[in-house]
Amino acid sequence: MGTIREVKSGKKSLKKDYVAIMMWFMGRAIQAAASVDRDVRKEFAELPDRFTFDLCVMPDGPHMIVGKDRKGYVRYMGWDTEGKRTNLRIKIKNLEAAILMFTFQESTALATARNRLVVDGEVPHACAAVRILDIVEVYLLPKIIAKLAVKRYPLWSPGRKYIGRVFVYLRTVLGL
Amino acid sequence: MNLPGYYEFCCRVKIIAGHDALEKIPDALAYLRARTPMIVSDKGVAGAGLIDIVTSAIKDGVTIGAVADDVTPDSDLQVVHRLARLYREKRCDSLIAVGGGSVMDTAKGVNILISENADDLMKFSGANALKRALKPLIAIPTTAGTGSEVTLVAVVKDHERHLKMAFVSYFLLPDVSVLDSRMTLSLPPAITAATGMDALAHAVEAYTCLAKNPLSDAHALAAINLIGENLVRVTRDPGDKNGRLAMANAATLAGIAFSNSMVGMVHTLGHSAGSVCGVPHGVCMAILLPYGLEYNMHKNGHLTAELLFPLGGAQVYAATPEGERADKVIALVRRINEDLHEASGGRHPRFFREVVDREGKQMVPREKLPEIAKTALSDGSLFYNPEDLDYDDFLMVMETSWEGEPLERRKIKKG
Repeated sequence: MGTIREVKSGKKSLKKDYVAIMMWFMGRAIQAAASVDRDVRKEFAELPDRFTFDLCVMPDGPHMIVGKDRKGYVRYMGWDTEGKRTNLRIKIKNLEAAILMFTFQESTALATARNRLVVDGEVPHACAAVRILDIVEVYLLPKIIAKLAVKRYPLWSPGRKYIGRVFVYLRTVLGL
Repeated sequence: MNLPGYYEFCCRVKIIAGHDALEKIPDALAYLRARTPMIVSDKGVAGAGLIDIVTSAIKDGVTIGAVADDVTPDSDLQVVHRLARLYREKRCDSLIAVGGGSVMDTAKGVNILISENADDLMKFSGANALKRALKPLIAIPTTAGTGSEVTLVAVVKDHERHLKMAFVSYFLLPDVSVLDSRMTLSLPPAITAATGMDALAHAVEAYTCLAKNPLSDAHALAAINLIGENLVRVTRDPGDKNGRLAMANAATLAGIAFSNSMVGMVHTLGHSAGSVCGVPHGVCMAILLPYGLEYNMHKNGHLTAELLFPLGGAQVYAATPEGERADKVIALVRRINEDLHEASGGRHPRFFREVVDREGKQMVPREKLPEIAKTALSDGSLFYNPEDLDYDDFLMVMETSWEGEPLERRKIKKG
């Protein structure tokens, strides 16, 4: 008779840390892009006052919370959900799916098509959030990688692309 | 074979199809341990005598607890509540929905309330809010197009608060769908044409968009084949029973396909044109389908080309060089629209400027196109489209489909 092996629940710490760092950087980059890029600014302007969204990995994080503060400025609000009311939550169903997305093996659109995301909130808000994420990815990533992450790589002027990229990176690193 | 790295597929609806399929309903109800169904329908269906056909086919086998034939053209929250009260008063134990998408949605809403013994439908809106099986539901479609007899979605409108609630759950799938040729024999040619093109759009987008998978592909290809052979025929000859049954099967096959692999930009713009200008959904699908295929051509032209065999037949496929097959499919879809226009006495519109209401008034004025394009940006079906679209892209497609001109491919941004 064979022995029964107990399988203990464990944490994929390395992968979780990688996703957490990517989300932290992405959150700060969204805040930065909202100051630099007119399209990101416009997307946020059309969302309700004090709109907050949470991109997270199921079942227990990490989280990336971004929203508009009282004055309407876009802020990265950290990873702690405690006491924060969110209008929209985009949940990645598991850590492996998050790894596929954050290593750019799967675009947001493909992840949606493969039923890896759950949206809690209104679909128009989710559409806006995905458009914002796509723009920020184009700023952060070299074209060869960004083309894997977004459906269509945009045809931007060199000024918008390169000068914008410098400002987005600077503001992201400095937390402005 | 385009095998995705991952996919999901589910269809657990029993299908009963035939020229005398209605007579099988008492057996189906007995299997579901139900004896007293409530029939849910609308005035149009009742007026066409379809409720009489259903009741006379099943009355020897079951007791019909109630017949509610006053579902509104748009599913309505108040109606859902009223029908749930009627169901309880008459001590029914199951539902039979006879009608189109709105009747199916209403019946699904009623089923949530009675099964959960609840008063507030809103509590169950959204994805996967239902946690257990509902009361038996038998769906009898009276159009061949929506596919809602095999879908897991219901949309109910709260007209007082101007809210549209969507419910998504596998528990909303009907237990049985009955496809009977008698249910669509009286459908007028223009509605036959529009609903048939709706089914074609479901199948084509299911096959060519991002969530395609081998199982939904099989259903989509079978649907396209049946539509290619039968849609124009039944529009010309509405009394063709075999053609009607073929189209009912095609709509169900397409419904299974798209509910498992979703739809793309044809539906994105179709939903917007419907919501901004009130254009019937099937009409939007008929007009927009060739444009969706043209727009996505550089991304999925090879998939569009594969549709030539089921749509055009073996001879057309063999006679068309490989590099021209995708264009041939688009030309065939436009040809079908032309044939339907002619077969319906000009009532099937081929482009948006031709769409008129019952009084003959143009439904899509040109100045509404920017609003349609803007509304489309908020539709979730865009996620599943192979190529991205921004406001300018949506507007370009709407302008060309309003005029009836083909898309200028050089204007499509390719990234």
